[in-house]
Amino acid sequence: MSATRADDNNLIAEIVDGDKTAMRALVEKYKRKAYFLALGMVGNSDEAMDISQEAFIRVFKSAKKFDQKQKFFPWFYSIIANLCKNDLQRREKRDSKAVDLEESDFLLVDEGNPETKLIRKEEAAMIRKALSELSFEDREIIVLKHFRDMSYDEIAKLLNIPKGTVMSRLYYARKKLAKLCHELR
Amino acid sequence: MNSGEDKYKIMLSGYIDGELSSDEKAELEMHLKTCSDCRKELEVFQELKEVTGAMKYADIPEHVWDNYWRGIYRRLELGIGWILFSIGAIIILACMCYGIFQNFFLNPDEPLILKIGVGTIILGAIFLLVSVTRERIFAYRRDRYKEIKR
Repeated sequence: MSATRADDNNLIAEIVDGDKTAMRALVEKYKRKAYFLALGMVGNSDEAMDISQEAFIRVFKSAKKFDQKQKFFPWFYSIIANLCKNDLQRREKRDSKAVDLEESDFLLVDEGNPETKLIRKEEAAMIRKALSELSFEDREIIVLKHFRDMSYDEIAKLLNIPKGTVMSRLYYARKKLAKLCHELR
Repeated sequence: MNSGEDKYKIMLSGYIDGELSSDEKAELEMHLKTCSDCRKELEVFQELKEVTGAMKYADIPEHVWDNYWRGIYRRLELGIGWILFSIGAIIILACMCYGIFQNFFLNPDEPLILKIGVGTIILGAIFLLVSVTRERIFAYRRDRYKEIKR
Protein backbone atom coordinates (compact mmCIF):
# COMPACT_ATOMS: atom_id res chain seq x y z
CA MET A 1 0.00 0.00 0.00
CA SER A 2 1.42 3.37 -1.01
CA ALA A 3 2.03 6.09 1.57
CA THR A 4 -0.58 8.41 0.04
CA ARG A 5 -3.21 5.70 -0.02
CA ALA A 6 -2.49 4.78 3.59
CA ASP A 7 -2.55 8.46 4.59
CA ASP A 8 -5.85 9.12 2.84
CA ASN A 9 -7.48 5.99 4.19
CA ASN A 10 -6.26 6.81 7.70
CA LEU A 11 -7.76 10.27 7.37
CA ILE A 12 -11.08 8.74 6.29
CA ALA A 13 -10.98 6.37 9.27
CA GLU A 14 -10.38 9.36 11.55
CA ILE A 15 -13.22 11.28 9.90
CA VAL A 16 -15.54 8.34 10.61
CA ASP A 17 -14.51 8.72 14.28
CA GLY A 18 -15.57 12.38 14.09
CA ASP A 19 -12.09 13.93 14.00
CA LYS A 20 -12.45 17.50 12.73
CA THR A 21 -8.71 17.96 12.20
CA ALA A 22 -8.73 14.97 9.84
CA MET A 23 -11.55 16.60 7.85
CA ARG A 24 -9.55 19.77 7.58
CA ALA A 25 -6.36 17.91 6.62
CA LEU A 26 -8.21 16.13 3.80
CA VAL A 27 -9.68 19.42 2.58
CA GLU A 28 -6.30 21.17 2.63
CA LYS A 29 -4.74 18.30 0.71
CA TYR A 30 -7.31 18.08 -2.09
CA LYS A 31 -9.08 21.45 -2.27
CA ARG A 32 -7.18 22.80 -5.29
CA LYS A 33 -7.33 19.51 -7.16
CA ALA A 34 -11.08 19.26 -6.53
CA TYR A 35 -11.72 22.85 -7.54
CA PHE A 36 -9.70 22.73 -10.77
CA LEU A 37 -11.20 19.40 -11.83
CA ALA A 38 -14.69 20.82 -11.34
CA LEU A 39 -13.68 24.03 -13.10
CA GLY A 40 -12.57 22.10 -16.16
CA MET A 41 -15.91 20.33 -16.34
CA VAL A 42 -18.32 23.18 -15.59
CA GLY A 43 -16.25 26.20 -16.69
CA ASN A 44 -17.56 28.52 -14.02
CA SER A 45 -15.56 29.53 -10.97
CA ASP A 46 -18.50 29.96 -8.59
CA GLU A 47 -20.09 26.68 -9.62
CA ALA A 48 -16.73 24.88 -9.37
CA MET A 49 -16.19 26.25 -5.86
CA ASP A 50 -19.68 25.18 -4.85
CA ILE A 51 -19.27 21.70 -6.35
CA SER A 52 -15.84 21.08 -4.81
CA GLN A 53 -17.07 22.11 -1.34
CA GLU A 54 -20.22 20.01 -1.70
CA ALA A 55 -18.04 17.04 -2.73
CA PHE A 56 -16.10 17.28 0.55
CA ILE A 57 -19.35 17.46 2.52
CA ARG A 58 -20.55 14.29 0.76
CA VAL A 59 -17.25 12.59 1.62
CA PHE A 60 -17.74 13.46 5.31
CA LYS A 61 -21.35 12.27 5.25
CA SER A 62 -20.61 8.98 3.51
CA ALA A 63 -17.15 8.30 4.98
CA LYS A 64 -18.59 5.27 6.81
CA LYS A 65 -19.55 3.68 3.48
CA PHE A 66 -16.05 4.10 2.02
CA ASP A 67 -14.39 0.79 1.28
CA GLN A 68 -10.93 0.95 2.88
CA LYS A 69 -9.58 -1.43 0.22
CA GLN A 70 -10.22 1.24 -2.41
CA LYS A 71 -8.15 4.32 -3.15
CA PHE A 72 -9.64 7.53 -1.87
CA PHE A 73 -9.09 9.83 -4.83
CA PRO A 74 -10.95 7.87 -7.57
CA TRP A 75 -13.91 7.63 -5.17
CA PHE A 76 -13.71 11.34 -4.45
CA TYR A 77 -13.39 12.08 -8.16
CA SER A 78 -16.54 10.07 -8.95
CA ILE A 79 -18.42 12.29 -6.46
CA ILE A 80 -17.05 15.45 -8.14
CA ALA A 81 -17.86 14.12 -11.64
CA ASN A 82 -21.44 13.28 -10.63
CA LEU A 83 -21.94 16.70 -9.10
CA CYS A 84 -20.55 18.32 -12.27
CA LYS A 85 -22.87 16.26 -14.47
CA ASN A 86 -25.87 17.24 -12.35
CA ASP A 87 -24.83 20.88 -12.40
CA LEU A 88 -24.49 20.95 -16.19
CA GLN A 89 -27.82 19.15 -16.65
CA ARG A 90 -29.53 21.60 -14.29
CA ARG A 91 -28.08 24.62 -16.11
CA GLU A 92 -28.92 23.15 -19.52
CA LYS A 93 -32.51 22.53 -18.46
CA ARG A 94 -32.78 26.03 -17.04
CA ASP A 95 -31.36 27.76 -20.11
CA SER A 96 -32.78 25.22 -22.62
CA LYS A 97 -29.34 24.97 -24.29
CA ALA A 98 -25.90 23.52 -23.63
CA VAL A 99 -23.73 25.44 -21.17
CA ASP A 100 -21.61 27.82 -23.26
CA LEU A 101 -18.03 28.15 -22.07
CA GLU A 102 -16.88 30.54 -24.79
CA GLU A 103 -17.40 33.71 -22.78
CA SER A 104 -16.15 32.13 -19.58
CA ASP A 105 -12.61 33.09 -18.61
CA PHE A 106 -11.69 29.86 -16.83
CA LEU A 107 -9.09 28.91 -19.44
CA LEU A 108 -6.64 31.69 -20.14
CA VAL A 109 -3.68 32.07 -22.40
CA ASP A 110 -0.38 31.53 -20.67
CA GLU A 111 1.69 34.72 -20.51
CA GLY A 112 4.25 34.18 -23.20
CA ASN A 113 5.31 35.72 -26.46
CA PRO A 114 3.33 39.00 -26.85
CA GLU A 115 3.25 38.60 -30.64
CA THR A 116 1.36 35.34 -30.49
CA LYS A 117 -0.76 36.29 -27.47
CA LEU A 118 -3.63 37.72 -29.51
CA ILE A 119 -3.82 34.65 -31.73
CA ARG A 120 -3.63 32.43 -28.64
CA LYS A 121 -6.50 34.39 -27.05
CA GLU A 122 -8.69 33.72 -30.07
CA GLU A 123 -7.68 30.08 -30.03
CA ALA A 124 -8.52 29.87 -26.32
CA ALA A 125 -12.03 31.23 -26.99
CA MET A 126 -12.42 28.69 -29.79
CA ILE A 127 -11.28 25.82 -27.55
CA ARG A 128 -13.70 26.92 -24.82
CA LYS A 129 -16.56 27.03 -27.33
CA ALA A 130 -15.61 23.63 -28.77
CA LEU A 131 -15.27 22.10 -25.29
CA SER A 132 -18.78 23.21 -24.39
CA GLU A 133 -20.13 21.30 -27.38
CA LEU A 134 -18.48 18.02 -26.40
CA SER A 135 -20.31 15.39 -24.38
CA PHE A 136 -19.44 15.21 -20.67
CA GLU A 137 -17.38 12.03 -21.20
CA ASP A 138 -15.36 13.56 -24.05
CA ARG A 139 -14.81 16.80 -22.16
CA GLU A 140 -13.78 14.85 -19.07
CA ILE A 141 -11.01 12.93 -20.85
CA ILE A 142 -9.76 16.08 -22.61
CA VAL A 143 -9.64 18.00 -19.33
CA LEU A 144 -7.78 15.22 -17.54
CA LYS A 145 -5.14 14.89 -20.26
CA HIS A 146 -4.79 18.36 -21.72
CA PHE A 147 -5.44 20.57 -18.72
CA ARG A 148 -4.53 18.39 -15.75
CA ASP A 149 -1.64 16.73 -17.60
CA MET A 150 -2.35 13.30 -16.16
CA SER A 151 -0.68 10.17 -17.51
CA TYR A 152 -2.74 7.36 -19.06
CA ASP A 153 -2.09 5.24 -15.98
CA GLU A 154 -3.38 7.96 -13.69
CA ILE A 155 -6.49 8.52 -15.84
CA ALA A 156 -7.11 4.75 -16.06
CA LYS A 157 -7.00 4.45 -12.27
CA LEU A 158 -9.14 7.53 -11.78
CA LEU A 159 -11.87 6.45 -14.18
CA ASN A 160 -11.46 2.76 -13.44
CA ILE A 161 -10.99 1.86 -17.12
CA PRO A 162 -8.15 0.02 -18.94
CA LYS A 163 -5.23 2.07 -20.28
CA GLY A 164 -6.16 1.11 -23.86
CA THR A 165 -9.62 2.58 -23.32
CA VAL A 166 -8.03 5.83 -22.17
CA MET A 167 -6.11 5.97 -25.45
CA SER A 168 -9.17 5.24 -27.61
CA ARG A 169 -11.44 7.61 -25.65
CA LEU A 170 -8.82 10.32 -26.03
CA TYR A 171 -8.53 9.66 -29.76
CA TYR A 172 -12.27 10.00 -30.40
CA ALA A 173 -12.59 13.01 -28.08
CA ARG A 174 -9.65 14.75 -29.78
CA LYS A 175 -11.09 13.98 -33.19
CA LYS A 176 -14.40 15.59 -32.22
CA LEU A 177 -12.63 18.56 -30.61
CA ALA A 178 -10.46 19.10 -33.69
CA LYS A 179 -13.52 18.89 -35.97
CA LEU A 180 -15.39 21.44 -33.84
CA CYS A 181 -12.36 23.76 -33.84
CA HIS A 182 -12.13 23.44 -37.61
CA GLU A 183 -15.80 24.37 -37.98
CA LEU A 184 -15.38 27.35 -35.65
CA ARG A 185 -12.35 28.78 -37.45
CA MET B 1 -7.64 -2.96 -29.68
CA ASN B 2 -9.26 -2.33 -33.05
CA SER B 3 -7.72 -3.85 -36.13
CA GLY B 4 -6.18 -2.27 -39.24
CA GLU B 5 -6.39 1.47 -39.82
CA ASP B 6 -8.38 2.16 -36.65
CA LYS B 7 -5.62 0.63 -34.56
CA TYR B 8 -3.07 3.08 -35.93
CA LYS B 9 -5.42 6.03 -35.62
CA ILE B 10 -6.02 5.29 -31.95
CA MET B 11 -2.28 4.86 -31.45
CA LEU B 12 -1.80 8.45 -32.66
CA SER B 13 -3.11 9.64 -29.30
CA GLY B 14 -0.62 7.51 -27.42
CA TYR B 15 2.13 8.67 -29.78
CA ILE B 16 1.72 12.40 -29.14
CA ASP B 17 1.38 11.77 -25.40
CA GLY B 18 4.52 9.60 -25.26
CA GLU B 19 2.49 6.66 -23.98
CA LEU B 20 3.47 4.01 -26.56
CA SER B 21 6.04 1.30 -25.94
CA SER B 22 9.16 1.44 -28.15
CA ASP B 23 7.80 -1.43 -30.30
CA GLU B 24 4.42 0.29 -30.76
CA LYS B 25 6.17 3.56 -31.55
CA ALA B 26 8.35 1.93 -34.21
CA GLU B 27 5.32 0.16 -35.71
CA LEU B 28 3.35 3.40 -35.92
CA GLU B 29 6.27 5.35 -37.37
CA MET B 30 6.59 2.70 -40.05
CA HIS B 31 2.88 3.04 -40.82
CA LEU B 32 3.09 6.85 -40.91
CA LYS B 33 5.63 6.65 -43.73
CA THR B 34 2.99 5.20 -46.00
CA CYS B 35 -0.27 6.66 -44.67
CA SER B 36 -0.92 10.33 -45.47
CA ASP B 37 -4.31 10.21 -43.72
CA CYS B 38 -2.69 9.31 -40.38
CA ARG B 39 0.08 11.88 -40.91
CA LYS B 40 -2.54 14.58 -41.46
CA GLU B 41 -4.45 13.56 -38.36
CA LEU B 42 -1.22 13.48 -36.35
CA GLU B 43 -0.52 17.08 -37.38
CA VAL B 44 -4.02 18.14 -36.30
CA PHE B 45 -3.60 16.47 -32.91
CA GLN B 46 -0.16 17.98 -32.41
CA GLU B 47 -1.53 21.43 -33.17
CA LEU B 48 -4.40 20.84 -30.75
CA LYS B 49 -1.95 19.83 -28.06
CA GLU B 50 0.17 22.89 -28.72
CA VAL B 51 -2.82 25.23 -28.47
CA THR B 52 -4.16 23.70 -25.27
CA GLY B 53 -0.63 23.57 -23.85
CA ALA B 54 -0.52 27.36 -24.04
CA MET B 55 -3.68 27.62 -21.95
CA LYS B 56 -3.96 27.55 -18.20
CA TYR B 57 -6.71 27.71 -15.61
CA ALA B 58 -7.53 31.06 -14.10
CA ASP B 59 -6.43 30.90 -10.47
CA ILE B 60 -8.38 32.44 -7.65
CA PRO B 61 -7.04 34.84 -5.00
CA GLU B 62 -5.16 33.30 -2.06
CA HIS B 63 -7.65 34.64 0.50
CA VAL B 64 -10.38 32.52 -1.18
CA TRP B 65 -8.24 29.43 -0.62
CA ASP B 66 -7.65 30.54 2.98
CA ASN B 67 -11.42 30.71 3.53
CA TYR B 68 -12.15 27.44 1.72
CA TRP B 69 -12.35 25.30 4.87
CA ARG B 70 -14.47 27.92 6.62
CA GLY B 71 -16.93 27.73 3.70
CA ILE B 72 -17.25 23.97 4.09
CA TYR B 73 -17.59 24.21 7.86
CA ARG B 74 -20.31 26.86 7.48
CA ARG B 75 -22.21 24.60 5.08
CA LEU B 76 -21.88 21.68 7.48
CA GLU B 77 -23.19 23.82 10.36
CA LEU B 78 -26.06 25.09 8.20
CA GLY B 79 -26.95 21.52 7.25
CA ILE B 80 -26.97 20.38 10.89
CA GLY B 81 -28.93 23.52 11.86
CA TRP B 82 -31.60 22.83 9.23
CA ILE B 83 -31.92 19.18 10.26
CA LEU B 84 -32.35 20.12 13.94
CA PHE B 85 -34.76 22.95 13.07
CA SER B 86 -36.83 20.65 10.84
CA ILE B 87 -37.02 17.91 13.49
CA GLY B 88 -38.07 20.44 16.14
CA ALA B 89 -40.64 22.05 13.81
CA ILE B 90 -42.14 18.66 12.91
CA ILE B 91 -42.43 17.68 16.61
CA ILE B 92 -44.08 21.00 17.53
CA LEU B 93 -46.46 20.85 14.55
CA ALA B 94 -47.38 17.26 15.37
CA CYS B 95 -48.11 18.25 19.01
CA MET B 96 -50.21 21.21 17.87
CA CYS B 97 -52.19 19.08 15.43
CA TYR B 98 -52.74 16.45 18.12
CA GLY B 99 -53.87 19.14 20.58
CA ILE B 100 -56.28 20.75 18.07
CA PHE B 101 -57.65 17.35 17.09
CA GLN B 102 -58.17 16.24 20.69
CA ASN B 103 -59.48 19.49 22.15
CA PHE B 104 -61.42 20.83 19.22
CA PHE B 105 -62.42 18.27 16.61
CA LEU B 106 -63.11 15.49 19.14
CA ASN B 107 -64.82 17.85 21.60
CA PRO B 108 -68.61 17.15 21.45
CA ASP B 109 -69.34 20.61 22.92
CA GLU B 110 -67.99 22.40 19.83
CA PRO B 111 -70.65 22.96 17.14
CA LEU B 112 -70.27 20.87 13.98
CA ILE B 113 -70.50 23.88 11.66
CA LEU B 114 -67.55 25.50 13.44
CA LYS B 115 -65.52 22.27 13.12
CA ILE B 116 -66.29 22.19 9.37
CA GLY B 117 -65.32 25.87 9.04
CA VAL B 118 -62.00 25.46 10.90
CA GLY B 119 -61.27 22.20 9.04
CA THR B 120 -61.87 23.92 5.69
CA ILE B 121 -59.58 26.83 6.62
CA ILE B 122 -56.80 24.42 7.65
CA LEU B 123 -57.17 22.39 4.44
CA GLY B 124 -57.21 25.57 2.35
CA ALA B 125 -54.08 26.86 4.07
CA ILE B 126 -52.31 23.54 3.38
CA PHE B 127 -53.28 23.69 -0.31
CA LEU B 128 -52.14 27.32 -0.58
CA LEU B 129 -48.82 26.53 1.12
CA VAL B 130 -48.15 23.58 -1.20
CA SER B 131 -49.14 25.58 -4.29
CA VAL B 132 -47.00 28.65 -3.41
CA THR B 133 -44.00 26.46 -2.52
CA ARG B 134 -44.31 24.55 -5.80
CA GLU B 135 -44.59 27.81 -7.75
CA ARG B 136 -41.54 29.28 -6.01
CA ILE B 137 -39.46 26.18 -6.75
CA PHE B 138 -40.61 26.24 -10.39
CA ALA B 139 -39.80 29.97 -10.72
CA TYR B 140 -36.39 29.50 -9.07
CA ARG B 141 -35.45 26.74 -11.51
CA ARG B 142 -36.38 28.91 -14.49
CA ASP B 143 -34.88 32.16 -13.21
CA ARG B 144 -32.16 33.09 -15.71
CA TYR B 145 -30.86 35.88 -13.52
CA LYS B 146 -30.60 34.15 -10.16
CA GLU B 147 -26.81 34.03 -10.39
CA ILE B 148 -26.60 37.79 -10.77
CA LYS B 149 -25.62 39.30 -7.44
CA ARG B 150 -27.94 42.13 -6.61
